[in-house]
Amino acid sequence: MTETAVVAPAMSRERVGFSLNRVGIIAMNTLTEAVRQKVFNFFLIIGLVFIGSASFFAQFTFGEQMKFIKDTCLGVISVISTLIAIVGTAQLLPNEVENRTIYTILAKPVRRFEFLLGKFLGSLFLLDASILAMCLLFGAVLFIKEQGMIRELHQAYGVNLPAAEATDLNQQIQQVTKAALDVDLVKAVVAETMKATLVAAITLLISTFSTSLVFNVIVPFMIFVAGMLRGAAAEVWAGHKLLMALLAVVPDFGLFSIADEINLGNVVPWAHIAEIVVYGLVRTFIIVVAAHLIFSRREI
Amino acid sequence: MGTKLLVVIVLFGMGLALLPMENSIRAERLRLKYGGARVTFQLREAIGQNLAIALLAGLRGVVADFLWIQSHGFWEKREWLRQYRDMEVVVTLQPQSILFWDVGSWHMAWNIGYAALTDPHNRTRAEGIKREREWHEKAREFLARGIENVPNHYDLYFYMGWLYYEKLSQDCDVPPCQAALCRAAEYFRKAASFPDAPQYVARMYPRSLEKCGDLVAAYREWKRLWFQDHTKVEQLWSVIEREIKDLENRLNIPNDQRVFPVKPS
Amino acid sequence: MDAIRTERLTKKYNLGWRKGRLLALDKLDLRVREGEVYGLLGPNGSGKSTTLKLILDLIAPTEGRAWVFDVPCSKVTSRLHIGFLPENPYFYRYLTGAETLEFYGKLCGMGGAPLKRRVEELLEMVGLTGARHRRLAGYSKGMLQRVGLAQALIHDPKLLLLDEPTAGVDPIGSKDIRDLILRLKGMGKTVLLSSHLLAQVQNVCDRIGVLNLGQLILEGDVQALISDQRRLSITVQDLPEAARTRVEEAVRAAGASVVSMEHPQTTLESLFLDALKKDQRGMGHHD
Repeated sequence: MTETAVVAPAMSRERVGFSLNRVGIIAMNTLTEAVRQKVFNFFLIIGLVFIGSASFFAQFTFGEQMKFIKDTCLGVISVISTLIAIVGTAQLLPNEVENRTIYTILAKPVRRFEFLLGKFLGSLFLLDASILAMCLLFGAVLFIKEQGMIRELHQAYGVNLPAAEATDLNQQIQQVTKAALDVDLVKAVVAETMKATLVAAITLLISTFSTSLVFNVIVPFMIFVAGMLRGAAAEVWAGHKLLMALLAVVPDFGLFSIADEINLGNVVPWAHIAEIVVYGLVRTFIIVVAAHLIFSRREI
Repeated sequence: MGTKLLVVIVLFGMGLALLPMENSIRAERLRLKYGGARVTFQLREAIGQNLAIALLAGLRGVVADFLWIQSHGFWEKREWLRQYRDMEVVVTLQPQSILFWDVGSWHMAWNIGYAALTDPHNRTRAEGIKREREWHEKAREFLARGIENVPNHYDLYFYMGWLYYEKLSQDCDVPPCQAALCRAAEYFRKAASFPDAPQYVARMYPRSLEKCGDLVAAYREWKRLWFQDHTKVEQLWSVIEREIKDLENRLNIPNDQRVFPVKPS
Repeated sequence: MDAIRTERLTKKYNLGWRKGRLLALDKLDLRVREGEVYGLLGPNGSGKSTTLKLILDLIAPTEGRAWVFDVPCSKVTSRLHIGFLPENPYFYRYLTGAETLEFYGKLCGMGGAPLKRRVEELLEMVGLTGARHRRLAGYSKGMLQRVGLAQALIHDPKLLLLDEPTAGVDPIGSKDIRDLILRLKGMGKTVLLSSHLLAQVQNVCDRIGVLNLGQLILEGDVQALISDQRRLSITVQDLPEAARTRVEEAVRAAGASVVSMEHPQTTLESLFLDALKKDQRGMGHHD
């Protein structure tokens, strides 16, 4: 090694408070690491392939084709985002402990909550980036389909139309455009993103006390399934207060299912979306707090 | 142990505290008629294990689409009853879908009905006609259920009107059936009352009133359409003008009361 | 001020329902003075790693307390003064050497030009300037160890905790690390190092403590502990063989006894390093 005078820059020795900056550094590092995972890339590619191939239903009416595309794409976004939420988050803490990188990080003046929050936010960045990628492709598919349908309509009607047919053509084009450029689809994506965020939080909670990757994937998945079935279970157990109370610990994931309603053209008020999001955020917050309670006392 | 107990208490506490919020969201979903049919054992038997799982995973739309595409396949293979069964399941899954009610009733009344009429296994032509009329009635009943589920859109009222106008008006000893055409007029009127109904819907009401035999009411309706603001409403004014002129002649409307007075030759 | 102070520091691990608890550390009273190099020795399972983890608040003590520069170890502030090199360090493989140091520097609140300058200084100090842009996945074990040292020093801590710093490192690397430790000591840093390699510990440590089954069984100044006051070693050069007998007689006449008379030996390590130095092609293994 060479002889070099080691002169460190001046550094404040004040009290170490909670730092969003440190959280952000850990989050960005987590995101950078996560995008290199083969599993994540596999799921995302599968999702993009399904979305890209959603438009091959040429033998159906325009209305049917649009419905199929939107149902398929939103369904793919729902499934893939849930899988990414679970698989992307399940490995966060166990990998750090197994690879011993957690030692060098927690040996620095980093609070455990900063580390946990940073890892969680990194996972959420990954999730949101994946959903965004799928939504962009979804939007492109809808746009291409819309343009294709409009071209077909023009071809079917021909040129130099009399007023009557021109009016008909315009109205049909408007219907196609309205179906394709449906701003309400954003509401569906918001609901699915909130659902996936909640799933990620649950996975984070499980991973704070479990070191097994398989356990960290299976248990959140089972909780997700239980949450989807909660509505049906509540109907069956309506009279049993104790069972209903036990059921309450599992989030009701069915409440986030509004994609179908939007695709059917039902009214989904923003107030309803806001209520779903608040529900999801409150659940996520409490679960992250619970995860912190466990992780802060966990022996590394 | 203390920490784990605290965490369990926090999670259960949160769950119980959020129950009112969950109930509120559920009530809102019920009010807005979200969700479709419950997943019963009969439904699960009808759609199979894999689709039932997809249904429980929240992929109701995808399952319905899959069954719809399957029913389309049965249509191509002329397996009408299988097609009909799938269509019934699909509207059970998504009773809010105008598309499924509309296209389903179209298949029943136009395709399956015609196939029943021309089925070579019919012993007599009368049998074919009877079977065709049974499918027309199935389509009508199907659409009626559709209207019950989606009462706030013009579409299904229009399609019901069209069903009466085109098909049910043929189902009597001496067609066209006046009563059916008058029923068609009622449905077209209801459809036209929705502000987002296309312009052709508004024209079908007076047209069917004419076919129903009520020329005076038809003339009144054509005039109402004509006197809308031409700059703000998109319409086939030339068609409306033609119909008014025709009715003014048939009803012998005095020239000074006509919308389109005849110029003395 | 003591750099590290523990009072009755105890750690018991739960082994499960019926297996009871494992006593990993038993009422450890340890004081490491500021500015000294302290070696923590002991066989596997003696409690060395447990002690380091307790100081770093990676685990909580069952009983007792620990302080770093009078700041309780349970406080995050205590880690402002600590740089830690774990055994067999592992970092994010997709980061380069420079990026790794920047990452840890940012975690310590550093940034901008001062951080960049510090990263350059440390890379040069540990001899990794040439590999700064290479991803850690392509680093050798020795290089990873040096990156580990650099990240431990990134925020210029007053105390360094080194867990097996020369484990798995070749003799040249080991010597470099030892030299660095001595240089850090010269700068006033305190070093607590835990190691199995006793010969290496002997050459750098001022004091040592020996742990066994969670208890400190021996502690003291290295030279005082290893030297035998009763014996004197005199090395002479070019003594004729005939004079050897007269030397023996003189010793006996003084009332002492000759225990042994033999040619002194160099160490295998010195021999190895000298051979490499003399090799005209140079000592290539680094970057």
